[in-house]
Amino acid sequence: MLLQVKDVTHSYGVPRLFWRSDRRVPVLSDISLTIEQGMCLGLLGTSGAGKSTLGKVILGLEKPRQGQVFFQGHDLYSTDIQTRKVLRRDLQVVFQDCYSSVNPRMTAERIIGEPLDNYERLSLNEQKRKIGELLEMVGLNPEDMRKYPNQFSGGQLQRINIARAIALKPKMIVLDESVSSLDMVNQTHILGLLRELKSVFGLSYLFITHDIKAAYSICDGLAVLEKGELVEMFDDKDRIFASSHATVRSLISSILSEHPRHRSLSLDGDPT
Amino acid sequence: MEEPRKVLQVSGLHVKVKAEQGMLSLIQDIHFDLKSGQVLGLVGESGSGKTVTCNSLLQLLDRKNTIVEGSIQLNGRELNGLKAEEMRRIRGKEIAFIMQNPMSAFTPVYTIGMQFIETIRTHTMLTKKQAIELAVTSMEDVNLPDPPKLMNLYPFQLSGGMLQRVMIAISMCLRPSVVIADEPTTALDVVNQLQVLRQLDRLRLEYGTSIMLISHDLGVISELADEVAVMQHGQIVEQANVFKLFDHPQHAYTKKLLNARPAFPLQQLNRESV
Repeated sequence: MLLQVKDVTHSYGVPRLFWRSDRRVPVLSDISLTIEQGMCLGLLGTSGAGKSTLGKVILGLEKPRQGQVFFQGHDLYSTDIQTRKVLRRDLQVVFQDCYSSVNPRMTAERIIGEPLDNYERLSLNEQKRKIGELLEMVGLNPEDMRKYPNQFSGGQLQRINIARAIALKPKMIVLDESVSSLDMVNQTHILGLLRELKSVFGLSYLFITHDIKAAYSICDGLAVLEKGELVEMFDDKDRIFASSHATVRSLISSILSEHPRHRSLSLDGDPT
Repeated sequence: MEEPRKVLQVSGLHVKVKAEQGMLSLIQDIHFDLKSGQVLGLVGESGSGKTVTCNSLLQLLDRKNTIVEGSIQLNGRELNGLKAEEMRRIRGKEIAFIMQNPMSAFTPVYTIGMQFIETIRTHTMLTKKQAIELAVTSMEDVNLPDPPKLMNLYPFQLSGGMLQRVMIAISMCLRPSVVIADEPTTALDVVNQLQVLRQLDRLRLEYGTSIMLISHDLGVISELADEVAVMQHGQIVEQANVFKLFDHPQHAYTKKLLNARPAFPLQQLNRESV
Protein backbone atom coordinates (compact mmCIF):
# COMPACT_ATOMS: atom_id res chain seq x y z
CA MET A 1 0.00 0.00 0.00
CA LEU A 2 1.51 3.29 -1.09
CA LEU A 3 -0.72 5.81 0.58
CA GLN A 4 -3.24 5.48 3.31
CA VAL A 5 -5.42 8.27 4.59
CA LYS A 6 -6.97 7.39 7.90
CA ASP A 7 -9.93 9.18 9.48
CA VAL A 8 -8.76 12.62 8.43
CA THR A 9 -10.82 15.48 9.80
CA HIS A 10 -9.88 19.05 9.14
CA SER A 11 -11.32 22.49 9.62
CA TYR A 12 -10.19 26.02 8.93
CA GLY A 13 -10.37 28.64 11.63
CA VAL A 14 -12.09 31.95 11.11
CA PRO A 15 -10.12 34.63 12.94
CA ARG A 16 -11.62 36.16 16.02
CA LEU A 17 -13.36 39.42 15.23
CA PHE A 18 -14.06 41.79 18.16
CA TRP A 19 -16.46 40.06 20.50
CA ARG A 20 -17.16 37.06 18.30
CA SER A 21 -15.63 33.84 19.56
CA ASP A 22 -13.44 31.58 17.47
CA ARG A 23 -15.30 29.76 14.79
CA ARG A 24 -14.13 26.81 12.77
CA VAL A 25 -15.42 25.86 9.35
CA PRO A 26 -15.36 22.10 8.82
CA VAL A 27 -13.65 21.13 5.56
CA LEU A 28 -13.03 17.41 5.78
CA SER A 29 -14.72 14.90 8.01
CA ASP A 30 -13.59 11.33 8.56
CA ILE A 31 -11.96 10.69 5.23
CA SER A 32 -10.31 7.32 4.76
CA LEU A 33 -8.91 6.06 1.51
CA THR A 34 -5.99 4.09 0.15
CA ILE A 35 -3.98 4.25 -3.03
CA GLU A 36 -1.99 1.25 -4.22
CA GLN A 37 1.25 1.45 -6.15
CA GLY A 38 0.58 2.15 -9.83
CA MET A 39 -3.05 3.03 -9.32
CA CYS A 40 -4.77 6.24 -10.27
CA LEU A 41 -7.55 7.51 -8.05
CA GLY A 42 -9.82 10.28 -9.28
CA LEU A 43 -11.19 12.65 -6.67
CA LEU A 44 -14.39 14.25 -7.90
CA GLY A 45 -16.54 16.95 -6.43
CA THR A 46 -17.94 20.42 -7.02
CA SER A 47 -16.04 23.54 -6.01
CA GLY A 48 -15.80 23.91 -2.28
CA ALA A 49 -16.15 20.20 -1.61
CA GLY A 50 -12.72 19.98 0.02
CA LYS A 51 -10.88 18.27 -2.83
CA SER A 52 -7.87 20.55 -2.81
CA THR A 53 -7.63 20.53 0.97
CA LEU A 54 -7.48 16.75 0.92
CA GLY A 55 -4.78 17.04 -1.74
CA LYS A 56 -2.78 19.37 0.50
CA VAL A 57 -3.23 17.08 3.48
CA ILE A 58 -1.91 14.17 1.43
CA LEU A 59 1.06 16.21 0.25
CA GLY A 60 2.00 17.04 3.80
CA LEU A 61 1.32 20.73 3.38
CA GLU A 62 -1.64 21.04 5.70
CA LYS A 63 -1.65 19.24 9.02
CA PRO A 64 -5.12 17.81 9.62
CA ARG A 65 -6.83 18.41 12.96
CA GLN A 66 -7.36 14.70 13.41
CA GLY A 67 -6.32 11.55 11.64
CA GLN A 68 -3.18 10.29 9.96
CA VAL A 69 -1.69 10.09 6.52
CA PHE A 70 0.62 7.16 5.89
CA PHE A 71 2.91 7.28 2.90
CA GLN A 72 4.96 4.15 2.36
CA GLY A 73 4.17 3.14 5.90
CA HIS A 74 5.36 6.37 7.57
CA ASP A 75 3.01 8.84 9.15
CA LEU A 76 3.69 12.05 7.26
CA TYR A 77 2.94 14.35 10.15
CA SER A 78 4.75 12.63 13.01
CA THR A 79 8.02 11.48 11.47
CA ASP A 80 11.19 13.45 11.94
CA ILE A 81 12.27 15.95 9.35
CA GLN A 82 14.90 13.69 7.73
CA THR A 83 12.41 10.94 7.01
CA ARG A 84 9.99 13.51 5.70
CA LYS A 85 12.57 14.84 3.33
CA VAL A 86 13.11 11.35 1.97
CA LEU A 87 9.37 10.78 1.68
CA ARG A 88 8.79 14.10 -0.08
CA ARG A 89 11.01 12.91 -2.87
CA ASP A 90 8.48 10.29 -3.85
CA LEU A 91 5.50 12.59 -3.56
CA GLN A 92 5.17 15.34 -6.14
CA VAL A 93 2.48 17.73 -7.23
CA VAL A 94 1.20 19.53 -10.34
CA PHE A 95 -1.25 22.37 -9.75
CA GLN A 96 -3.96 23.85 -11.92
CA ASP A 97 -2.48 27.26 -12.51
CA CYS A 98 0.68 26.56 -14.44
CA TYR A 99 1.78 30.21 -14.49
CA SER A 100 1.74 30.71 -10.75
CA SER A 101 3.46 27.43 -9.93
CA VAL A 102 6.72 28.48 -11.55
CA ASN A 103 9.05 31.33 -10.74
CA PRO A 104 8.76 33.78 -13.65
CA ARG A 105 12.39 34.79 -13.30
CA MET A 106 13.81 31.31 -13.69
CA THR A 107 14.52 29.59 -16.96
CA ALA A 108 12.95 26.22 -17.68
CA GLU A 109 16.32 24.67 -16.93
CA ARG A 110 16.42 26.06 -13.41
CA ILE A 111 12.77 25.24 -12.80
CA ILE A 112 13.22 21.60 -13.67
CA GLY A 113 16.68 21.53 -12.09
CA GLU A 114 15.47 22.62 -8.67
CA PRO A 115 14.38 19.20 -7.38
CA LEU A 116 17.59 17.73 -8.81
CA ASP A 117 19.64 20.33 -6.93
CA ASN A 118 17.88 19.42 -3.74
CA TYR A 119 18.13 15.67 -3.90
CA GLU A 120 20.74 14.57 -6.38
CA ARG A 121 24.28 15.72 -6.67
CA LEU A 122 24.90 15.74 -10.38
CA SER A 123 27.67 17.45 -12.26
CA LEU A 124 26.61 20.42 -14.37
CA ASN A 125 26.82 18.49 -17.60
CA GLU A 126 24.95 15.52 -16.25
CA GLN A 127 22.22 17.75 -14.91
CA LYS A 128 21.89 19.52 -18.23
CA ARG A 129 21.63 16.21 -20.04
CA LYS A 130 19.04 14.98 -17.56
CA ILE A 131 16.93 18.12 -17.99
CA GLY A 132 17.11 17.73 -21.76
CA GLU A 133 15.91 14.15 -21.44
CA LEU A 134 13.05 15.22 -19.19
CA LEU A 135 11.98 17.90 -21.63
CA GLU A 136 11.98 15.38 -24.45
CA MET A 137 10.01 12.98 -22.34
CA VAL A 138 7.19 15.51 -21.91
CA GLY A 139 7.20 16.36 -25.60
CA LEU A 140 9.20 19.59 -25.60
CA ASN A 141 12.39 20.50 -27.33
CA PRO A 142 15.60 20.33 -25.21
CA GLU A 143 16.49 23.72 -26.71
CA ASP A 144 13.55 25.17 -24.76
CA MET A 145 15.45 24.97 -21.49
CA ARG A 146 16.82 28.48 -21.97
CA LYS A 147 13.35 30.00 -22.19
CA TYR A 148 11.44 31.77 -19.44
CA PRO A 149 7.88 30.84 -18.38
CA ASN A 150 6.29 33.77 -20.24
CA GLN A 151 7.66 32.39 -23.49
CA PHE A 152 5.64 29.20 -23.15
CA SER A 153 1.95 28.62 -23.75
CA GLY A 154 -0.23 27.22 -20.98
CA GLY A 155 -0.02 23.68 -22.32
CA GLN A 156 3.76 23.83 -22.69
CA LEU A 157 4.21 25.25 -19.22
CA GLN A 158 2.05 22.51 -17.77
CA ARG A 159 4.42 20.04 -19.45
CA ILE A 160 7.32 21.76 -17.70
CA ASN A 161 5.50 21.39 -14.40
CA ILE A 162 5.07 17.71 -15.15
CA ALA A 163 8.75 17.42 -16.08
CA ARG A 164 9.66 18.95 -12.73
CA ALA A 165 7.34 16.54 -10.95
CA ILE A 166 8.82 13.45 -12.60
CA ALA A 167 12.45 14.64 -12.36
CA LEU A 168 13.11 12.54 -9.27
CA LYS A 169 11.14 9.52 -10.46
CA PRO A 170 8.56 9.81 -7.70
CA LYS A 171 6.11 7.10 -6.69
CA MET A 172 3.10 9.33 -6.59
CA ILE A 173 1.95 12.63 -8.12
CA VAL A 174 -0.98 14.67 -6.88
CA LEU A 175 -2.61 16.32 -9.88
CA ASP A 176 -4.77 19.14 -8.57
CA GLU A 177 -6.98 20.21 -11.49
CA SER A 178 -3.89 19.94 -13.65
CA VAL A 179 -5.72 19.93 -16.97
CA SER A 180 -8.75 22.08 -16.15
CA SER A 181 -7.36 25.37 -17.40
CA LEU A 182 -6.16 23.99 -20.72
CA ASP A 183 -8.09 23.90 -23.95
CA MET A 184 -9.50 20.64 -25.31
CA VAL A 185 -6.61 19.78 -27.61
CA ASN A 186 -3.96 20.42 -24.98
CA GLN A 187 -6.01 18.63 -22.38
CA THR A 188 -6.08 15.49 -24.49
CA HIS A 189 -2.33 15.71 -25.10
CA ILE A 190 -1.52 16.15 -21.42
CA LEU A 191 -3.84 13.30 -20.41
CA GLY A 192 -2.12 11.12 -22.98
CA LEU A 193 1.27 12.09 -21.62
CA LEU A 194 0.20 11.35 -18.04
CA ARG A 195 -1.13 7.96 -19.06
CA GLU A 196 2.14 7.16 -20.81
CA LEU A 197 4.28 8.23 -17.85
CA LYS A 198 2.12 6.15 -15.58
CA SER A 199 2.81 3.00 -17.56
CA VAL A 200 6.52 3.75 -17.99
CA PHE A 201 7.33 4.56 -14.36
CA GLY A 202 4.51 2.74 -12.61
CA LEU A 203 3.38 6.05 -11.12
CA SER A 204 0.35 6.49 -8.92
CA TYR A 205 -1.81 9.55 -9.32
CA LEU A 206 -4.33 11.30 -7.19
CA PHE A 207 -6.29 13.10 -9.88
CA ILE A 208 -8.32 15.93 -8.38
CA THR A 209 -10.92 17.34 -10.75
CA HIS A 210 -14.52 18.32 -11.24
CA ASP A 211 -14.54 16.98 -14.76
CA ILE A 212 -15.77 13.40 -14.84
CA LYS A 213 -14.75 12.98 -18.45
CA ALA A 214 -11.10 13.77 -17.79
CA ALA A 215 -11.07 11.63 -14.65
CA TYR A 216 -12.70 8.75 -16.45
CA SER A 217 -10.14 8.76 -19.22
CA ILE A 218 -7.17 8.35 -16.89
CA CYS A 219 -8.27 6.88 -13.56
CA ASP A 220 -8.75 3.33 -12.33
CA GLY A 221 -10.90 4.21 -9.36
CA LEU A 222 -13.05 7.20 -8.50
CA ALA A 223 -13.99 8.83 -5.21
CA VAL A 224 -16.69 11.46 -4.85
CA LEU A 225 -16.41 14.16 -2.23
CA GLU A 226 -19.20 16.43 -1.10
CA LYS A 227 -19.02 19.06 1.63
CA GLY A 228 -15.97 17.39 3.09
CA GLU A 229 -17.45 13.94 3.18
CA LEU A 230 -16.49 11.01 1.07
CA VAL A 231 -19.88 10.05 -0.30
CA GLU A 232 -18.86 7.17 -2.50
CA MET A 233 -15.81 5.20 -3.61
CA PHE A 234 -15.64 3.17 -6.77
CA ASP A 235 -12.75 0.77 -7.23
CA ASP A 236 -13.95 0.18 -10.75
CA LYS A 237 -14.63 3.47 -12.51
CA ASP A 238 -17.47 2.07 -14.61
CA ARG A 239 -19.53 1.43 -11.53
CA ILE A 240 -20.07 5.16 -11.08
CA PHE A 241 -22.81 5.05 -13.71
CA ALA A 242 -24.82 2.60 -11.66
CA SER A 243 -24.66 4.75 -8.54
CA SER A 244 -27.88 6.05 -7.09
CA HIS A 245 -26.39 8.69 -4.80
CA ALA A 246 -27.80 12.17 -5.46
CA THR A 247 -24.42 13.92 -5.61
CA VAL A 248 -22.99 11.38 -8.00
CA ARG A 249 -26.12 11.57 -10.12
CA SER A 250 -25.92 15.35 -10.37
CA LEU A 251 -22.28 15.13 -11.40
CA ILE A 252 -23.10 12.59 -14.07
CA SER A 253 -26.11 14.46 -15.37
CA SER A 254 -24.08 17.62 -15.80
CA ILE A 255 -21.73 16.01 -18.28
CA LEU A 256 -22.24 17.89 -21.51
CA SER A 257 -23.32 15.98 -24.55
CA GLU A 258 -20.81 15.14 -27.22
CA HIS A 259 -23.21 15.62 -30.04
CA PRO A 260 -26.01 18.17 -30.47
CA ARG A 261 -28.44 15.32 -30.91
CA HIS A 262 -27.96 14.30 -27.29
CA ARG A 263 -28.46 17.73 -25.78
CA SER A 264 -29.46 17.72 -22.17
CA LEU A 265 -30.88 21.25 -22.31
CA SER A 266 -34.55 21.50 -23.02
CA LEU A 267 -34.51 23.00 -26.47
CA ASP A 268 -37.23 23.57 -28.95
CA GLY A 269 -36.07 20.65 -31.02
CA ASP A 270 -33.97 20.63 -34.11
CA PRO A 271 -33.28 24.16 -35.37
CA THR A 272 -33.17 23.09 -38.99
CA MET B 1 -42.06 31.36 -42.23
CA GLU B 2 -40.50 34.70 -41.54
CA GLU B 3 -36.78 34.84 -42.07
CA PRO B 4 -35.07 35.82 -38.79
CA ARG B 5 -33.63 39.32 -38.88
CA LYS B 6 -29.89 39.71 -39.12
CA VAL B 7 -28.77 41.48 -35.98
CA LEU B 8 -25.04 41.52 -36.34
CA GLN B 9 -23.25 41.43 -39.67
CA VAL B 10 -19.51 41.16 -39.75
CA SER B 11 -17.65 41.19 -43.01
CA GLY B 12 -14.01 41.33 -43.97
CA LEU B 13 -12.78 41.82 -40.44
CA HIS B 14 -9.02 42.13 -40.15
CA VAL B 15 -7.17 42.98 -36.97
CA LYS B 16 -3.53 43.94 -36.99
CA VAL B 17 -1.32 44.85 -34.11
CA LYS B 18 1.86 46.91 -34.06
CA ALA B 19 4.82 44.84 -33.01
CA GLU B 20 8.57 45.07 -33.15
CA GLN B 21 8.63 43.14 -36.41
CA GLY B 22 6.09 45.47 -37.98
CA MET B 23 2.39 44.91 -38.37
CA LEU B 24 1.32 41.53 -37.08
CA SER B 25 -1.95 40.16 -38.37
CA LEU B 26 -4.07 38.64 -35.59
CA ILE B 27 -7.24 37.77 -37.43
CA GLN B 28 -7.90 37.74 -41.13
CA ASP B 29 -11.02 38.03 -43.18
CA ILE B 30 -13.74 37.10 -40.71
CA HIS B 31 -17.27 36.98 -42.10
CA PHE B 32 -20.38 36.00 -40.22
CA ASP B 33 -23.96 37.00 -39.62
CA LEU B 34 -25.87 36.62 -36.40
CA LYS B 35 -29.63 36.29 -36.74
CA SER B 36 -31.98 37.17 -33.92
CA GLY B 37 -32.41 34.39 -31.40
CA GLN B 38 -29.54 32.47 -32.87
CA VAL B 39 -26.51 31.13 -31.04
CA LEU B 40 -23.26 31.23 -32.94
CA GLY B 41 -20.52 29.12 -31.44
CA LEU B 42 -16.93 30.09 -32.00
CA VAL B 43 -14.49 27.27 -31.31
CA GLY B 44 -10.75 26.96 -31.53
CA GLU B 45 -7.62 26.29 -29.53
CA SER B 46 -6.18 28.89 -27.23
CA GLY B 47 -4.43 31.52 -29.30
CA SER B 48 -6.61 31.05 -32.36
CA GLY B 49 -8.04 34.55 -32.15
CA LYS B 50 -11.44 33.95 -30.57
CA THR B 51 -11.11 36.60 -27.91
CA VAL B 52 -9.51 39.12 -30.27
CA THR B 53 -12.50 38.71 -32.56
CA CYS B 54 -15.00 39.49 -29.84
CA ASN B 55 -12.94 42.35 -28.46
CA SER B 56 -12.79 43.87 -31.91
CA LEU B 57 -16.58 43.61 -32.21
CA LEU B 58 -16.90 45.52 -28.96
CA GLN B 59 -14.18 47.97 -30.00
CA LEU B 60 -12.33 47.13 -26.83
CA LEU B 61 -8.92 46.79 -28.41
CA ASP B 62 -6.30 49.39 -27.75
CA ARG B 63 -6.88 51.96 -30.49
CA LYS B 64 -3.33 53.18 -30.57
CA ASN B 65 -1.64 49.88 -31.28
CA THR B 66 -4.21 47.92 -33.21
CA ILE B 67 -5.90 48.44 -36.53
CA VAL B 68 -9.37 47.03 -37.09
CA GLU B 69 -10.45 46.86 -40.71
CA GLY B 70 -13.72 45.71 -42.16
CA SER B 71 -17.31 46.26 -41.29
CA ILE B 72 -19.23 45.42 -38.13
CA GLN B 73 -22.90 46.29 -38.42
CA LEU B 74 -25.22 46.10 -35.45
CA ASN B 75 -28.85 46.50 -36.49
CA GLY B 76 -27.65 48.29 -39.61
CA ARG B 77 -25.34 50.64 -37.74
CA GLU B 78 -21.64 50.58 -38.44
CA LEU B 79 -19.65 50.07 -35.24
CA ASN B 80 -16.14 50.07 -36.59
CA GLY B 81 -14.70 53.56 -36.25
CA LEU B 82 -17.33 54.88 -33.89
CA LYS B 83 -16.13 57.38 -31.33
CA ALA B 84 -15.28 55.96 -27.91
CA GLU B 85 -18.06 58.06 -26.44
CA GLU B 86 -20.77 56.62 -28.70
CA MET B 87 -19.43 53.10 -28.38
CA ARG B 88 -19.75 53.36 -24.63
CA ARG B 89 -23.44 54.05 -25.06
CA ILE B 90 -23.90 50.93 -27.17
CA ARG B 91 -21.79 48.63 -25.06
CA GLY B 92 -23.84 47.21 -22.23
CA LYS B 93 -27.11 48.34 -23.76
CA GLU B 94 -27.16 46.85 -27.23
CA ILE B 95 -24.20 44.50 -27.04
CA ALA B 96 -23.57 42.87 -23.71
CA PHE B 97 -20.43 41.04 -22.75
CA ILE B 98 -20.02 38.09 -20.42
CA MET B 99 -16.44 37.52 -19.47
CA GLN B 100 -14.55 34.38 -18.71
CA ASN B 101 -13.51 35.14 -15.18
CA PRO B 102 -16.38 36.49 -13.09
CA MET B 103 -14.03 37.15 -10.19
CA SER B 104 -12.03 39.76 -12.07
CA ALA B 105 -14.96 41.28 -13.95
CA PHE B 106 -16.34 43.00 -10.87
CA THR B 107 -14.72 45.69 -8.77
CA PRO B 108 -14.04 44.20 -5.36
CA VAL B 109 -14.62 47.51 -3.57
CA TYR B 110 -18.27 48.08 -4.55
CA THR B 111 -21.26 45.93 -3.71
CA ILE B 112 -23.04 43.90 -6.36
CA GLY B 113 -26.01 46.25 -6.08
CA MET B 114 -23.96 49.39 -6.72
CA GLN B 115 -22.36 47.90 -9.81
CA PHE B 116 -25.71 46.63 -11.05
CA ILE B 117 -27.42 49.97 -10.60
CA GLU B 118 -24.53 51.85 -12.17
CA THR B 119 -24.94 49.82 -15.37
CA ILE B 120 -28.69 50.33 -15.48
CA ARG B 121 -28.60 54.05 -14.75
CA THR B 122 -25.89 54.92 -17.25
CA HIS B 123 -28.04 53.57 -20.04
CA THR B 124 -31.57 54.44 -18.97
CA MET B 125 -33.45 57.27 -17.31
CA LEU B 126 -34.67 55.07 -14.48
CA THR B 127 -34.62 56.36 -10.93
CA LYS B 128 -32.56 54.59 -8.34
CA LYS B 129 -35.61 52.89 -6.91
CA GLN B 130 -36.74 51.61 -10.29
CA ALA B 131 -33.21 50.45 -11.03
CA ILE B 132 -33.14 48.43 -7.83
CA GLU B 133 -36.44 46.82 -8.76
CA LEU B 134 -35.15 45.96 -12.21
CA ALA B 135 -31.97 44.54 -10.73
CA VAL B 136 -33.89 42.35 -8.31
CA THR B 137 -36.24 40.99 -10.96
CA SER B 138 -33.44 40.22 -13.38
CA MET B 139 -31.54 38.42 -10.65
CA GLU B 140 -34.66 36.41 -9.94
CA ASP B 141 -34.76 35.55 -13.64
CA VAL B 142 -31.46 33.75 -13.39
CA ASN B 143 -32.55 31.81 -10.30
CA LEU B 144 -30.36 33.58 -7.81
CA PRO B 145 -31.52 33.05 -4.25
CA ASP B 146 -32.61 36.12 -2.26
CA PRO B 147 -31.60 38.98 -4.62
CA PRO B 148 -32.23 41.84 -2.15
CA LYS B 149 -29.62 40.34 0.14
CA LEU B 150 -27.19 39.76 -2.71
CA MET B 151 -27.37 43.44 -3.63
CA ASN B 152 -25.56 44.33 -0.42
CA LEU B 153 -22.82 41.75 -0.76
CA TYR B 154 -19.37 42.26 -2.22
CA PRO B 155 -18.21 40.17 -5.19
CA PHE B 156 -15.74 38.14 -3.14
CA GLN B 157 -18.53 36.94 -0.87
CA LEU B 158 -20.15 35.04 -3.73
CA SER B 159 -19.05 31.82 -5.36
CA GLY B 160 -17.87 31.80 -8.96
CA GLY B 161 -21.05 30.23 -10.25
CA MET B 162 -23.25 32.78 -8.49
CA LEU B 163 -21.12 35.67 -9.66
CA GLN B 164 -21.29 34.43 -13.23
CA ARG B 165 -25.07 34.37 -12.95
CA VAL B 166 -25.03 37.92 -11.57
CA MET B 167 -23.00 38.92 -14.61
CA ILE B 168 -25.56 37.27 -16.88
CA ALA B 169 -28.32 39.11 -15.02
CA ILE B 170 -26.54 42.45 -15.47
CA SER B 171 -25.91 41.83 -19.13
CA MET B 172 -29.47 40.73 -19.81
CA CYS B 173 -31.38 43.30 -17.76
CA LEU B 174 -31.32 45.94 -20.49
CA ARG B 175 -32.43 43.41 -23.12
CA PRO B 176 -29.48 43.76 -25.47
CA SER B 177 -29.89 42.43 -28.98
CA VAL B 178 -26.53 40.66 -28.89
CA VAL B 179 -24.71 39.00 -26.04
CA ILE B 180 -21.10 38.04 -26.46
CA ALA B 181 -20.17 35.30 -24.05
CA ASP B 182 -16.43 34.72 -23.93
CA GLU B 183 -15.84 31.30 -22.36
CA PRO B 184 -18.69 31.85 -19.89
CA THR B 185 -18.30 28.51 -18.16
CA THR B 186 -14.59 27.75 -18.30
CA ALA B 187 -13.94 29.00 -14.78
CA LEU B 188 -16.86 27.07 -13.30
CA ASP B 189 -17.28 23.50 -12.15
CA VAL B 190 -19.45 21.11 -14.13
CA VAL B 191 -22.61 21.45 -12.10
CA ASN B 192 -22.54 25.25 -12.29
CA GLN B 193 -21.60 25.05 -15.93
CA LEU B 194 -24.83 23.33 -16.84
CA GLN B 195 -26.86 25.80 -14.81
CA VAL B 196 -25.27 28.80 -16.50
CA LEU B 197 -25.82 27.30 -19.94
CA ARG B 198 -29.42 26.64 -19.03
CA GLN B 199 -29.89 30.30 -18.06
CA LEU B 200 -28.37 31.51 -21.31
CA ASP B 201 -30.61 29.20 -23.26
CA ARG B 202 -33.72 30.32 -21.42
CA LEU B 203 -32.95 33.99 -21.86
CA ARG B 204 -32.46 33.48 -25.54
CA LEU B 205 -35.77 31.67 -25.90
CA GLU B 206 -37.63 34.25 -23.86
CA TYR B 207 -36.18 37.46 -25.22
CA GLY B 208 -34.89 36.42 -28.62
CA THR B 209 -31.39 37.63 -27.82
CA SER B 210 -28.65 36.51 -30.17
CA ILE B 211 -25.68 34.95 -28.45
CA MET B 212 -22.14 34.66 -29.65
CA LEU B 213 -20.73 31.82 -27.63
CA ILE B 214 -16.98 31.51 -27.51
CA SER B 215 -15.55 28.31 -26.14
CA HIS B 216 -12.85 25.75 -26.61
CA ASP B 217 -15.12 23.10 -25.17
CA LEU B 218 -17.06 21.27 -27.84
CA GLY B 219 -19.43 20.02 -25.18
CA VAL B 220 -20.59 23.57 -24.48
CA ILE B 221 -20.92 24.23 -28.19
CA SER B 222 -22.92 21.10 -28.85
CA GLU B 223 -25.29 21.96 -26.01
CA LEU B 224 -26.16 25.47 -27.05
CA ALA B 225 -25.04 26.52 -30.50
CA ASP B 226 -27.13 26.53 -33.68
CA GLU B 227 -24.31 27.48 -35.96
CA VAL B 228 -20.62 26.87 -35.38
CA ALA B 229 -17.57 28.66 -36.72
CA VAL B 230 -14.22 26.96 -36.26
CA MET B 231 -11.21 29.24 -35.92
CA GLN B 232 -7.59 28.43 -36.49
CA HIS B 233 -4.68 30.87 -36.70
CA GLY B 234 -6.99 33.86 -36.89
CA GLN B 235 -9.17 32.55 -39.66
CA ILE B 236 -12.54 30.87 -39.79
CA VAL B 237 -11.75 27.57 -41.44
CA GLU B 238 -15.21 26.10 -41.36
CA GLN B 239 -18.68 27.38 -40.62
CA ALA B 240 -21.73 25.18 -40.60
CA ASN B 241 -24.88 24.16 -38.81
CA VAL B 242 -24.03 22.42 -35.58
CA PHE B 243 -25.55 19.09 -36.64
CA LYS B 244 -23.79 19.17 -39.96
CA LEU B 245 -20.50 20.08 -38.35
CA PHE B 246 -20.59 17.26 -35.82
CA ASP B 247 -21.79 14.70 -38.35
CA HIS B 248 -19.77 15.67 -41.38
CA PRO B 249 -16.82 17.83 -40.50
CA GLN B 250 -15.19 19.08 -43.69
CA HIS B 251 -11.97 20.71 -42.64
CA ALA B 252 -9.06 18.66 -41.28
CA TYR B 253 -8.76 20.94 -38.26
CA THR B 254 -12.42 20.46 -37.33
CA LYS B 255 -11.89 16.72 -37.46
CA LYS B 256 -8.86 17.09 -35.23
CA LEU B 257 -10.87 19.09 -32.70
CA LEU B 258 -13.68 16.56 -32.73
CA ASN B 259 -11.21 13.75 -32.17
CA ALA B 260 -9.59 15.58 -29.29
CA ARG B 261 -12.52 14.95 -26.99
CA PRO B 262 -11.73 12.51 -24.21
CA ALA B 263 -13.15 9.09 -24.93
CA PHE B 264 -16.23 8.47 -22.89
CA PRO B 265 -18.78 5.70 -22.97
CA LEU B 266 -21.52 7.46 -24.88
CA GLN B 267 -24.10 4.74 -24.54
CA GLN B 268 -24.00 5.21 -20.78
CA LEU B 269 -24.82 8.87 -21.25
CA ASN B 270 -27.63 8.27 -23.67
CA ARG B 271 -29.33 6.00 -21.24
CA GLU B 272 -28.90 8.85 -18.82
CA SER B 273 -30.76 11.43 -20.86
CA VAL B 274 -33.69 9.17 -21.70
